[in-house]
Amino acid sequence: MPSSEVIGIIPFSWIIPALSAGSFCVIVFFGKFLPLKGAVISIAAISIGFLMFWFVLIDLLSGDLAYRHFTINWITVGSTEITWGILIDRLSIVMLGLISFVSLLVQIYSLEYMKGDPRLGWYFAVHALFAASMLTLVLADNLLFLYFAWELVGLGSYLLIGFWYEKPPAVEAAKKAFITTRIGDVGLLIGLILLFKATGSFEIKEIFGAAQSGAIDTVTLNISMILIFLGAMGKSAQFPFHVWLPDAMEGPTPVSALIHAATMVAAGVYLVARLLPLFELTPGVLFFVSAVGLLTFISASLLALVMRDVKRILAYSTISHLGLMMLSLGAFGAGAAIFHLVVHGLSKALLFLGAGSIMHGLADETDIWKMGGLRRKMPITAITFLIGAASLAGIAPLGGFFSKDEILLVMLDHRGPLFLSITLGAIVISSLYMTRVSLVVFFGSQRSNMDHVHESPLLITLPLIILAILALIVGVIAFSWTSDYRGFIHFLTGEDEFHLLIWLSILSLLLTLSGVFIGWAIYHKKIIAVDYLIKKYPFFYRFLINRYYIDHLYQWIIDRVILAFGKTIAVFDRTIINDVGVNESASSVWRSAITLKYLQTGKLYNYGLTMALGVVCLILIWWLLLT
Amino acid sequence: MELAHFQLVAAALFSIGLYGVLARKSAVLILMSIELMLNAVNINLIGYAAFMDFTVDQRALGQVLVIFVITIAAAELALAVAIILRLYRNRSSVNVDEIDTMKW
Repeated sequence: MPSSEVIGIIPFSWIIPALSAGSFCVIVFFGKFLPLKGAVISIAAISIGFLMFWFVLIDLLSGDLAYRHFTINWITVGSTEITWGILIDRLSIVMLGLISFVSLLVQIYSLEYMKGDPRLGWYFAVHALFAASMLTLVLADNLLFLYFAWELVGLGSYLLIGFWYEKPPAVEAAKKAFITTRIGDVGLLIGLILLFKATGSFEIKEIFGAAQSGAIDTVTLNISMILIFLGAMGKSAQFPFHVWLPDAMEGPTPVSALIHAATMVAAGVYLVARLLPLFELTPGVLFFVSAVGLLTFISASLLALVMRDVKRILAYSTISHLGLMMLSLGAFGAGAAIFHLVVHGLSKALLFLGAGSIMHGLADETDIWKMGGLRRKMPITAITFLIGAASLAGIAPLGGFFSKDEILLVMLDHRGPLFLSITLGAIVISSLYMTRVSLVVFFGSQRSNMDHVHESPLLITLPLIILAILALIVGVIAFSWTSDYRGFIHFLTGEDEFHLLIWLSILSLLLTLSGVFIGWAIYHKKIIAVDYLIKKYPFFYRFLINRYYIDHLYQWIIDRVILAFGKTIAVFDRTIINDVGVNESASSVWRSAITLKYLQTGKLYNYGLTMALGVVCLILIWWLLLT
Repeated sequence: MELAHFQLVAAALFSIGLYGVLARKSAVLILMSIELMLNAVNINLIGYAAFMDFTVDQRALGQVLVIFVITIAAAELALAVAIILRLYRNRSSVNVDEIDTMKW
């Protein structure tokens, strides 16, 4: 349908990322002349973006089209037109809101948290770039444009994780994040090219059409979907590509909040959700998606149980929740996954900002065993953190309970009892580690060195309070309110009205509460002795505390396989390419020059004679040829 | 008088000039030999213009060419003598055997 009759704000929604991208340029070039080194520009840009989101949302809801689509031509290669375009539908509008909102809060929070940092301007510039690329990613209508934004997101995360580049671990973590996601990105790129080869278009809707009409043969489709999912695994930190996410904690804490809530890790989930119609044509790949999701969900939540660093606990919690989203996506549950993405994004941003507030008060202490009893010193942080933890643990009636419930329903409908029961088991663990971190940090006895600890200032607590209120009430969007709005999943996908299976909800709530109870028994009442369990199963504990030895395995592969291979190749390069190929050809020219230069006498009559003889010879040949 | 006489004189002059260029060591003599070779060509041109079965225009063309060659030879001579003079100032010699700094 032509979009000419639409005179709304939707055609201009490209301004939302463009504003942030523009503020990046402004801050980089003129930041030092601006108040707060340009932070205001970045915050203003994202605020206007967030405001515009509401107008775009109203515009979209008042129209009768399910989606709107605008393109401009970029380059034409042969008969292929490559375009810049935006695609506004309910999926992208939800992501748009989440990203701009969380970015806005994180940037406001950073004003206080990063105060006095010598590179404040650069920090906000990269923040703006990061937000802009993520906003572009969710708006992109074709896969090439999406890939472009996808790489920019990777760049933004690299710059932000390595923001404190004087610290060697931060540099290592930034490199690790970049390279690990890079491996997946290569898969994504190949997958996109395969799809383009099969359909001749990068346009998402056109590829959908081609695939649904059977224009892409099954083998190609399967291969490209697996490769695309590899990209999503890298960005969304799915097992075994999850290793970069915990290390990414070396960056400033607000950055962690942003990466874990709205940008970067959300990109993979969004990609799979966006391309779900393609994934649905390849049930095998879809099963793989949910299997990877399930594995990630369990393995990461087990690791979250044994970590000591509060940010790492939250990081593993993020990985496990991303696994949950993938699990749901793999079971045709795009709506439930995006619902969980939103709820998790709000709660996890809250938790990370809370952790940042704790670190702010405790001089950057992150070990939870050195904290304790903080609820008296930092009441606002404590309450908001507890709300976030409860929401993610899945305690009714907070947001996490409803989104988890929707995912369980999807599991029940599409993946059967085995997946459902494993998921339910992992829910206990996820509420257990949330209980653990909450109890150890905020309850129990106060440590002696905590006298100077104080509540953080308003710029830090205000985003916490806003996010906590949202985490408290975000569950309401799950319900069916009017005849037009029949639950969030119906809003998103147009099917599956809101419904509850009472027994399933009660079961999941009971399991969550049992996790809380166990945590309470272990870490508050000390009824169950963890030390005893550790002593009894030392192997299992070592296995967990060493993160399944996956990092060791990767290090071993890098040292023993890649570097060893590299050394062999280097020998070949030194001897064959360098010595024989380059140096030898150069020196042979040199030697021949040394020899041949004696042909030049410098005597004029030698040259003259040669010329004269040459002419005589030419004449002779000419004369012979003529006769 | 016919064309062959002109050609013979021209060939003789050219050969003498060529010999001079190749055999002399003095730059001035080489220059004079080059002039000889140029004039041999001139005689050839005049001979052809006069004795071939040409129209008036074509005959005139041959003579005009000779005028051109003489003009250019004069200009060239001025240049070459200037170069030889500079050479003599720098090296106190015009022996071409000694002028081989561009060799290697």
